[in-house]
Amino acid sequence: MTGTFARVKGELEEWPEAATQEFEKAWQAMSVRLDEEQMARWADTGVVIARQTAHSWEAAALFYKVSPLVAETMPFNYFMKWAECGSGLGGESPALAVAYFGASPGAMGKLRSRHIEAWANLGRSLYKGTWKSSTLSSKFFESTPELLESLTFPELERFAAFLDLLSHHSYDLSAECLVLGQRLFPLVGQDKEAFLSLSITMVDSGWRQVKTFFEASHKALPRIEESQRMRFLKLSERLLSSGVVNIPNTMLEMSQALSEVEPGNHDRLLGIAAELLEASPVAVPELIKCGPDILNRISLTQMEQWCQEGMRILKQNKDGGLAYFKLESAYAEEVLESLSSGVEFARIKDVIEMYCRALAGSSVKLAVTSELVEKNIGWVSTEVASTEGSSVYLPPVVDRYRTKDENFQWFKVVSTHQVGHIEFGSFRFEFEAPPGLFKDLRHRLEELRTAEIEKARAASGGEEAAVSSAWVTDMQRFFNLFSDRKLALDVFTVIEDGRLDAQVRAEYLGIKTPYKRVQSDALESRPDVRTLPAREAMIELLVRLSLQQFKTVLVPAEHADKARKIARIARRVFAYGAEVEDTAEAVLRIYAIISPIANEEVPPEDWEEMEMDSEGNQGYADPEEMEELLQQVAEGEDMASRPEGEEEYESSEDVDYRGDFKPELAQLLEMLRRQSQEGQEQGAEEQITQEMVQEMLQQSAEVDMSEGQGEAQKIAGQVAMNMLKEAGIKEPQSPEHGQGPFVHVDEAGGPLDPSEPQTFVYDEWDFRADDYKPRWCIVRQKTMAEGDPAYYGATLHHYGPLVMQIRRQFEMMIPEMFRKVMRLQDGEDIDIDEVIEAFVDIRTGASPSEKLYWRRNKVQRDVSVVFLLDTSASTAEAIDETRRAADDWDAPDDPVEYMLWLRARRGEGTRRSYKRIIDLEKEALVLLINALEAIGDVYGIYGFSGYGRENVEFYTIKDIAERFSDRVKNRIDRISPLHATRMGPAIRHATTKLEAQDARTKLLFLISDGRPQDRGYSREGVEKEYAVHDTRMALEEAKRKEINAFCLTVDKNGHDYLKTMCQDMSYEVLDDIYTLPQRLLYLYKKLTM
Amino acid sequence: MTSSTKTLYKSYIIEEYHPTQEPFYLPVGDEIELFEAAYGQRIPVLFKGPTGCGKTRFVEYMSWRLGKPLTKVKPKKGKSDDGDGSQNGRELPLVTIACHEDLTASDLVGRYLLEGDSTVWIDGPLTRAVKAGGICYLDEIVEARKDTTVLIHPLTDHRRLLPVEKRGELIEAADGFLLVLSYNPGYQSALKDLKHSTRQRFVAIEFNPPPRDIEAKIVEHESGVDAPMALQLAKLGEKVRNLREHGLGEGASTRLLIYAGKMIQAGIKPRRACQVAVNWAVTDDASVQRSIEEVINSIFE
Repeated sequence: MTGTFARVKGELEEWPEAATQEFEKAWQAMSVRLDEEQMARWADTGVVIARQTAHSWEAAALFYKVSPLVAETMPFNYFMKWAECGSGLGGESPALAVAYFGASPGAMGKLRSRHIEAWANLGRSLYKGTWKSSTLSSKFFESTPELLESLTFPELERFAAFLDLLSHHSYDLSAECLVLGQRLFPLVGQDKEAFLSLSITMVDSGWRQVKTFFEASHKALPRIEESQRMRFLKLSERLLSSGVVNIPNTMLEMSQALSEVEPGNHDRLLGIAAELLEASPVAVPELIKCGPDILNRISLTQMEQWCQEGMRILKQNKDGGLAYFKLESAYAEEVLESLSSGVEFARIKDVIEMYCRALAGSSVKLAVTSELVEKNIGWVSTEVASTEGSSVYLPPVVDRYRTKDENFQWFKVVSTHQVGHIEFGSFRFEFEAPPGLFKDLRHRLEELRTAEIEKARAASGGEEAAVSSAWVTDMQRFFNLFSDRKLALDVFTVIEDGRLDAQVRAEYLGIKTPYKRVQSDALESRPDVRTLPAREAMIELLVRLSLQQFKTVLVPAEHADKARKIARIARRVFAYGAEVEDTAEAVLRIYAIISPIANEEVPPEDWEEMEMDSEGNQGYADPEEMEELLQQVAEGEDMASRPEGEEEYESSEDVDYRGDFKPELAQLLEMLRRQSQEGQEQGAEEQITQEMVQEMLQQSAEVDMSEGQGEAQKIAGQVAMNMLKEAGIKEPQSPEHGQGPFVHVDEAGGPLDPSEPQTFVYDEWDFRADDYKPRWCIVRQKTMAEGDPAYYGATLHHYGPLVMQIRRQFEMMIPEMFRKVMRLQDGEDIDIDEVIEAFVDIRTGASPSEKLYWRRNKVQRDVSVVFLLDTSASTAEAIDETRRAADDWDAPDDPVEYMLWLRARRGEGTRRSYKRIIDLEKEALVLLINALEAIGDVYGIYGFSGYGRENVEFYTIKDIAERFSDRVKNRIDRISPLHATRMGPAIRHATTKLEAQDARTKLLFLISDGRPQDRGYSREGVEKEYAVHDTRMALEEAKRKEINAFCLTVDKNGHDYLKTMCQDMSYEVLDDIYTLPQRLLYLYKKLTM
Repeated sequence: MTSSTKTLYKSYIIEEYHPTQEPFYLPVGDEIELFEAAYGQRIPVLFKGPTGCGKTRFVEYMSWRLGKPLTKVKPKKGKSDDGDGSQNGRELPLVTIACHEDLTASDLVGRYLLEGDSTVWIDGPLTRAVKAGGICYLDEIVEARKDTTVLIHPLTDHRRLLPVEKRGELIEAADGFLLVLSYNPGYQSALKDLKHSTRQRFVAIEFNPPPRDIEAKIVEHESGVDAPMALQLAKLGEKVRNLREHGLGEGASTRLLIYAGKMIQAGIKPRRACQVAVNWAVTDDASVQRSIEEVINSIFE
């Protein structure tokens, strides 16, 4: 045995010493395990390996080094197989062998002995004799131990096959996937097979995406519930095989959506998706993407129903189905709405808004809570309803009851309460106004307090105290009376809310039932009083009283007497007819009573159940100690008497239906608004400055300023500024004027919301889906900027004689209004000719006609018209002068026509300057206005253009309700070519305007220079048709609303699309652009007669 | 003439009609004094106000009140019996003409009618009122044609003359004659506005829906519902009126509230009665209806 040792050692000596050392070390360990012959075979294998190439000795050294470890794990015959495999690899490339041996100790633990050879072969198969392939192969060996942590050997084989396949395209990519794979496989879950086959399919279909796919999977999988990952991957595979492009991205989006869904629901959602897969693979990602939105509104079972409906649509119309699953179809919304029990704010906004207006008697607006929060004027909660004096803010969706009706009732109760603030004057609090139910103690307390402050100031000799007595609003003045503002505010909120509830109950008997229900629900969700410290428990008592719980209320036994007192005061205010000033008086008294109570925990046995049924029924007179209590409050003794280390006072939990009530802020805001309205005329008398507002905010307990001092100041500053802005003081530049720069927003995405003033949202017709895309376009209405005042006059002058002609023609239309109808049985008067004839008849013995009367039939001219002017970029085109050949020799018969014609012909010689289509449009407008003013028709003129669906610009040149003025004249000058032509929304907006008109004849006159087109308005493939069909639909809608539409175009190719667009409506294509002004007027006359 | 046949209906000759019983009218402001003063000076009066707020009732009431002997003219003398009254103050006829867009001048003044071989002149209601010296009440004057409004011009200034062109006559108005117009500035389009030359011949009394408590009393009296219900109805009226300019052309009139009250009195459930008498009557717009529905549901149990 030693012989073998010496021999091998000798042979190894030709390579660096490291090899020999490793051999020596390994010999000892191996000799324990192997017999002599085996030792010889083992030792010789090393030598064989070392001999293979110049660098192979390293592999050999490694071989010796790892041998003891490997040998432990397998019988000798396998061990030798292992060694031979290594040797074989070494024959291919020493680097491979090094990697193989290096990875072996780690891999052997997880690898069945019988797989050794297969494993080595996997690595070898990756090696293609190049340097890059050897790197890949080595990496494969190196990563094997880790890969085997999560893969079985057959899976490893598949993975190697995948790598091999990928390496045909790129070794680097393959290597990167190998690395990614290590991190990824642990996430894949049970069935790696699916993932691997997906990967392999991927290589075939688009190998470049593989890496992104790996990366996407790496990000996507953790978001999915573990047992569903495989399903997700299978789904992805199916999507890929059915031709969905950009799978990695789709996977990311889908997983993102899934992560927003509860993990427990992944199973069923994917199940729904799998069902849909049969019908339309493209729709699947869309479905999953809007999954979270849908599940917010309906349950999974309902979602299945919803999908069924979608699949039905899919069968009929692929595009329609797709739009359905994208939630881009009105029908999808409709089905969703009918399934869901929740009530969305947007759906009920109009009804409730009008309801609120009816109740409040002022133009209350309704908005979602988030809007109030975004304004950053002190309100922070998006969950609960609120009001700031002019608007009522409601949560975006309510889904707390099982039926739609109940949820709607909740909305109604909440808005009734909020409107109550406005209707019953929460914000109209006046410090000076006398209370009706109590004696006025406000002034007394203020007196006491001022005296106290004076005293303190005299004592300290300073002046700092004077500041706190300054006040801006009456509400602030009131709260200034209390040292513990927070407590005062809490009491005020509860009492005032309770007062409102009482008013509502008495005023609106019909709402009692739902109101009671909401109240009792609120009562149920109140916290257990026994968990509260004493002072908070007193507030809780008030809350419960305000919610109509009078029986068995728990109070700390120690304070039972006080509880009865405050109950008596509170219940007095919770009655019909109480005013906000009464609330204030009640607050003052209650505060005085409970403020000194120590906010300490009450032992469980020290609670007493009380009946408050009878409290508040009798008359109320202030007890004698009230004066004393006031004195205490004024001196701040109530605060001083609170024990050290009592529990920190926390406001009671909000009663959810009452929402967020901030009397101080709301009153301030109202004052600011009033100031901004009046202030403009009255000048700077008693202006509220930002500093004053800021200071007040810092004092107020309504704004949460719990951050540090500096931070609080910053917040207050910001909020103060926003408030001023909100009230319209220091308004930034009005966005309405001028053709401002347009904002580019991307086309993708769902329905839009018009958030700014003067913006309107309209649906758009998707003819392929055969349905509307809900809330798809935003029309921004702006007033056209004013230009050169001379333009109008100059144009009139230019057309001099023609103007006179037209005007006369139009004026002549007026007498045509009365038409005499003869030969009537009854009428205004007898027709003398008929009568004579009748007499003749009688004399001659014939039977006379009885129709002897005449009457004037009044044909009243009652016309409203809107002119829509296309101001798209194409109108900048110069008019092709050369086309004007003298081919129109046939003069028209009509004298007016003739004059126009003549005029046009004469003008030809002089008018040779460069002119654009829009210039002619403008000139036509000038003539038109002139004529319209003569007959007194109601008319509006608007220009439209835009860029993308969220920027349909709608320029008012003359509003339909506006009187003609110099400003209108000036605006005409500024009409200039802009962007694209999205006709649909512009027509819809114009239709809306006309609809509001009360006229017998309504006319929509569209003047354009070409087909409608805009970004995203012409979908790929169906380019022109989409826009044309939407326009057609818009015109159709107008027609349904009894508005006559007429299209006049100067596009010579107009016939082709106008036929589709206007169908049975009238249109005209002007062959000769120069006739535009004349023709326009002629047509107008014709159309309105 | 015909004594044996029983008259199944009451009919009056136009200029002889006058309210015989005191019409129920609850003054909101000083409109009674204003009208009496204007009548005393024979200044024509223009009533402005939305429909159903009591314009017609007021003119009936005033006709009764002014025709009632010795109330205002000689207040000190106290009441004398009816027989006596016909000597001092005679009944004041009230001629009401509802204007419509086909109302022509000859409808007011009169026209020739054929009768047998000849024509007969028949006085129009305006002529009759002028001759009889009563109040001529032209309801919704802007609805009438423009030529009719010109006709009343000479009647409304110091001349107090009615030209009857066809007969070549000028009729001087009898002493008691007064022209009263009503007009609703709310809903007319700009085309149907009263001309200034017409408007400025009248003193104008504005009518607005009465405040809640007065309206409640009116509703209570007219419909017979009890006071709390009347108050609810008045409340509803007030709330619905708040919606003017917000989707409603005109709010619910007192008349509608009375109808609702009568329906309730006849046994219809309040919510339903309001729905048919108020909600559906004031608007056809489904979303506005829905809102009013909610208001109704809030107010009535």
